[in-house]
Amino acid sequence: MSLFSLSKKIKKLKQLKKQAQQNQQPSKAIPSSLLDQINSIKEKTGNSIDVVIRKLQLGDSKGPDTAVVFVEGISDSKAINDFLIESIMNNHPSPNSRPIYDILFEKVVALGDVKEIKDWDNLYLSLMSGESIILVDGEKRALSASTRGGEQRSIEEPGSQVTVRGPRDGFTESIRTNTALIRRRIQNPDLWLENMKIGSVTKTDVSIMYIKGIAKDEIVEEVRNRLKRIEIDSILESGYIEQLIEDQAFTTFPTLYHTERPDMVAGNLLEGRVAIIVNGTPFVLIAPAVFIQFFQSVEDYYGRADIATALRFLRILIFFISIIAPAAYIAVTTFHQEMIPTQLLVAIAAQREAVPFPALVEALIMEVAFEILREAGIRMPRAVGSAISIVGALVIGQAAVQAGIVSPAMVIIVAITAIANFATPAFAVAISARLIRFGFMFAAATFGFYGIILGVIILAVHLCSLRSFGVPYLTPIAPLIPANLGDTIVRLPMWAQKKRPRLFSNKETRVGDNQKPQPPEGRGMVNDTLEKGDQDEQ
Amino acid sequence: MEKANISLYQLFVLILLFELGSAILVPLASDAKQDAWLAILFGMAGGLFLFWVHYRLFLYYPELVPPQYMQKLLGKIAGTLLAFCYIILFMYSAARVLRDFGEMLLTFAYLETPLFIVNALLMLVIIYAVSKGIEVVARTGELFFLFIYFLAITGFILILFSGLIDVNNLKPILERGILPVVRVFYTQTLYFPFGEIIVFSMIFPYIANKKKAKKVGLFAIGLSGINLAITMAINIGVLGVDLTARSQFPLLSTIQGIQVAEFLERLDVFFMISTVICIFFKVSIYFYAAVASTAVIFKIKEPSRLTYPMGMVILFMSVTIASSYAEHLKEGLEFVTRYVHPFFLILIPTLLLGIAFLKNRKKKSPQ
Amino acid sequence: MNNKRILFILVFFVSTLLLSGCWSKKELTDLAIVAALGIDKNEQGRYVGTMQIINPGNVTSGMQGGGGSQGPPISIVTGSGDSIVELSRSTSRKLSRRLYYAHTNLIVISEEIAKEESISTILDPLERDAQFRSTAIIVIAQGSKASDIVKVLTAIDKIPSNKVIKTLKITEKIWGENIAVSIQDAIKMIVSPGKELAVSGFRVNGDVDKGITMENTQQTEPASLLFAGSLGIFKNGKLIQWVDGETARGSVFLLDKLNASAIGVEWEGKDEAISYELIRQKTKVSAKMEKGKPRVSIEVQAEGNIGETKVPIDLNNPHLLLKLEKEIEKEIKKEITMAIKIAQKSKSDIFGFGEALHRTNPKEWGKMASKWNDVYFPEVKTDIVVDAFIRRTGLRNNPHQVNQ
Repeated sequence: MSLFSLSKKIKKLKQLKKQAQQNQQPSKAIPSSLLDQINSIKEKTGNSIDVVIRKLQLGDSKGPDTAVVFVEGISDSKAINDFLIESIMNNHPSPNSRPIYDILFEKVVALGDVKEIKDWDNLYLSLMSGESIILVDGEKRALSASTRGGEQRSIEEPGSQVTVRGPRDGFTESIRTNTALIRRRIQNPDLWLENMKIGSVTKTDVSIMYIKGIAKDEIVEEVRNRLKRIEIDSILESGYIEQLIEDQAFTTFPTLYHTERPDMVAGNLLEGRVAIIVNGTPFVLIAPAVFIQFFQSVEDYYGRADIATALRFLRILIFFISIIAPAAYIAVTTFHQEMIPTQLLVAIAAQREAVPFPALVEALIMEVAFEILREAGIRMPRAVGSAISIVGALVIGQAAVQAGIVSPAMVIIVAITAIANFATPAFAVAISARLIRFGFMFAAATFGFYGIILGVIILAVHLCSLRSFGVPYLTPIAPLIPANLGDTIVRLPMWAQKKRPRLFSNKETRVGDNQKPQPPEGRGMVNDTLEKGDQDEQ
Repeated sequence: MEKANISLYQLFVLILLFELGSAILVPLASDAKQDAWLAILFGMAGGLFLFWVHYRLFLYYPELVPPQYMQKLLGKIAGTLLAFCYIILFMYSAARVLRDFGEMLLTFAYLETPLFIVNALLMLVIIYAVSKGIEVVARTGELFFLFIYFLAITGFILILFSGLIDVNNLKPILERGILPVVRVFYTQTLYFPFGEIIVFSMIFPYIANKKKAKKVGLFAIGLSGINLAITMAINIGVLGVDLTARSQFPLLSTIQGIQVAEFLERLDVFFMISTVICIFFKVSIYFYAAVASTAVIFKIKEPSRLTYPMGMVILFMSVTIASSYAEHLKEGLEFVTRYVHPFFLILIPTLLLGIAFLKNRKKKSPQ
Repeated sequence: MNNKRILFILVFFVSTLLLSGCWSKKELTDLAIVAALGIDKNEQGRYVGTMQIINPGNVTSGMQGGGGSQGPPISIVTGSGDSIVELSRSTSRKLSRRLYYAHTNLIVISEEIAKEESISTILDPLERDAQFRSTAIIVIAQGSKASDIVKVLTAIDKIPSNKVIKTLKITEKIWGENIAVSIQDAIKMIVSPGKELAVSGFRVNGDVDKGITMENTQQTEPASLLFAGSLGIFKNGKLIQWVDGETARGSVFLLDKLNASAIGVEWEGKDEAISYELIRQKTKVSAKMEKGKPRVSIEVQAEGNIGETKVPIDLNNPHLLLKLEKEIEKEIKKEITMAIKIAQKSKSDIFGFGEALHRTNPKEWGKMASKWNDVYFPEVKTDIVVDAFIRRTGLRNNPHQVNQ
């Protein structure tokens, strides 16, 4: 350990030094001449046509002494016209008053967020994020006014997580809209938002959001540190971040949760989790994630508790079916024929008589064919989608059976598996089940149920060894935390879920005492208040 | 020692899975005829006492594992030697359990498969689990515990509904007096499975709540004893004394008898699934104890590195210790329980406790 | 380093998986599913096994354009050898598939073997083999060769072995002259010194040569039919006697296996005037020592309804019903006494009186065990107490009267 870790440490130190040097490098100062400033911007942006430079005259000098620079499309042109350009043009300061820069800063710019910029780096950062830059001749500094805006997708119902009951808004590609959607739900100053820019080229806005006091500081710190150590050129989607900060790289299971639904993020923040919001994508990451979370839907919390519990049991069952069903079929038909009732065995045997392949090959053919169909169905334009399903149903369902290539029983198994897979609420887990399924099929084909159970043990050990930001993946089932079991496979009514998840939240109690609904006590068959109503009717 | 933290519930689960492990497979205490369940309960009482001995020793050295306190109690050389003996015992026991399992699988489901392959597959899974550390094994245990209990209770209900149990098979109680039962107790059930509780002294230092560990441990042993006794009583109730004793795997024969609603029958696969899981934990815990002891004695920083070579040794041992199943059983019953177990599982721990008591008497009594 | 090890394990896994070549694998298309096994003995004294092999394509009709059910649902293969294992393996010369016994639910043993040598020699391989089910039912081929029982085709249940088993189970439930005994039960009884074996016989009537053609199933009245026969009483594993009718039912009563039956009762001098439909019964057998001799008391509780009357009777009158109950009790007691007498005469304790004694008086039992069947059992005194109840009389109370 010693030598190896020492060299690692040295490397780390060197890296740190490098970073420090980069940070210390003074960025070029802004020249004082307006012409130089404008030329410099033009040169840097390569005369890009969407970088608009509007020269204006404010003072009494003959030539233009100010310029407004903004990038068309990502800035709010109405705000720029009304509150910047018009305001500058209409303002005629009396001669010999204070310097133009100060007037601009204090009197003219009618926008909320105005900052002073002293170097090029920050200037470009503001400019490229949609802010307007106001340059003043003779000043070595510039003003930036927040005019971010431009065309954005409006708030729509999220496509990936549909609910029957529950709010209809979903995240958009704009980080500000997204944070606003969350803030509207948690109107509390303790909802903290930290921003950072990640991606040496893209300079993407990445925010972490958490509720101070509920989220555990260690976990927030861990998230912050992991984000800070990212060195990459671009962040185009939250998936980039996910891959860079997850605990275990080699696993098919997601250790971060992603969602398009603000209500889900709000709910998770209230449980003490941390949200990572990335500009440019509607998918918000939530950390730490636990396995059981992927089997929960927001609707569980809005609907009745008993029904939600039943549905969650169903989902767990579904997950196992989608992993094990084809494997179990293979195991039963090639190893454990004694398991099934004679009549059923005879029926399956009759179907298999004509099939020229061993059970494994048969299963593989069908599974792969189905995966192809599914992939085609997802990537195809909507209009062609129905054609694919017809071809799939006809070719695979009908023709393959009639041609004697596969047995009807196998078609049933594949269909059940496929539907089970679709029914898993979280796509991230469903897709890993798809992959694992093939492993189980091979295990079943070589060792029958012994292979399957070994596979299940490996899977269990693997899941138990996973952690998400230090939290064991299978919490609160293994390790067992009885106080948190109310929101796992079972979902207790709101008044009975008294505690927040212990491993990643601070204030544990979330529901007051005696919150169980207490309707007025009836007298025998007659309810006091209702009785009065009855009398009134007479 | 690794950095790990075991909760009381995890300890409970591990003890239960460990005790049930292979004991539930074999015709345990069948020499006591229809009173086998009684002999098991006696064995359980012995197990409770042994657990108390190990726990007491642990209280004297709450931060140390047995190889360490053996060195403290007996001196460097003698302690190391003794600890080394225990490593071999643990590995041998792991190999025995693995062999039991392999034989079971080969006898009833995988007749044509070589023993080595069946054992190797399970051993690889065990190596994988143990290399992840005791915490992961414990958590996996929690996960499977409920599953096993669910299977067991379902099985029990099905046996009940099939109308297989004939209580008359358990009568007369104590036909030939209590002596045969006592003999089975001190020749068999005391050591297997209850004396094997000694492996848990390797896990004690990881327990977070050390005070309550005793209660939980005793409860777990008690429950496992009751479970085993019930299982054996059901076996005898269903199969009768003669068939139970003649069966290599009585529980399997019992389960094969289930016939409910013309559909729920031929459930051997579920028996296989639950045994694979139980055996997995039993071997894992033995194996972990061996690996952890070795790491402590030879001061190896990363115990997980030992898992692969030691696992291979256990694997080869499991295949070579006997040439036939009969020989394997004979070895276990005649040699190991008669000459090895009384010495290592009972005598030495009690002696160590005595020495620890004498040594610590002058200083302070344990909390 | 860690990755390297994981890689190694992975490679090991994959290679074992691929190299293994799937030892214990058996594709369905390589299996011949044996539904029933009949065991005879030929002139040379070798065992002859007749296997009833299911022909899956012909069992499930309606498959793929109704192509099925043309040929017979089963096909027969025979093999001979000095042992069961040998005869089973020898069939491979005639068969393209491996015999698969996990679904063998019926074992037919010829009367000849049952009478001449202990059936326990046949049961050993069946018990030892992992494929065989200990729940498989044993019957004795009564008055024919075992192969005949296995060969004959049946109409409603396509697989003949199913027919045999279902017939036995149903008749055990609603008539009660036969019992279904599994391999495991049989072995338990053979082993126990205090209980002897009783196994049902199965018969075939008509022309067996016609019975093995598909025509047999295409007639309303089959040329050859399988039906449950008498109850065989064994001693030391050998068949010694067949019992029939009410005696057999008495035995089943005593074994506490009877569920329902119909019992004819005498009323006012007319034989079988009233039918009593038994719906449930419970028989308790207990033994005690009295003056150094074993004494067995039998308590029967029977419950049932009136199913039929041939004579006018006022069924609304509870007193009459009580009287009727007495008659029923007498009838049941008669059947049981007959069964005991026959068993005692043949010196075979099929009812487990010995076991009952073992439970209550283990010490005395220890002395008697070895000579129980021959010396003590025939001398056992029994007290039979029957409690019969008539609960209901059906949809009508009194029988209709023919207007004269």
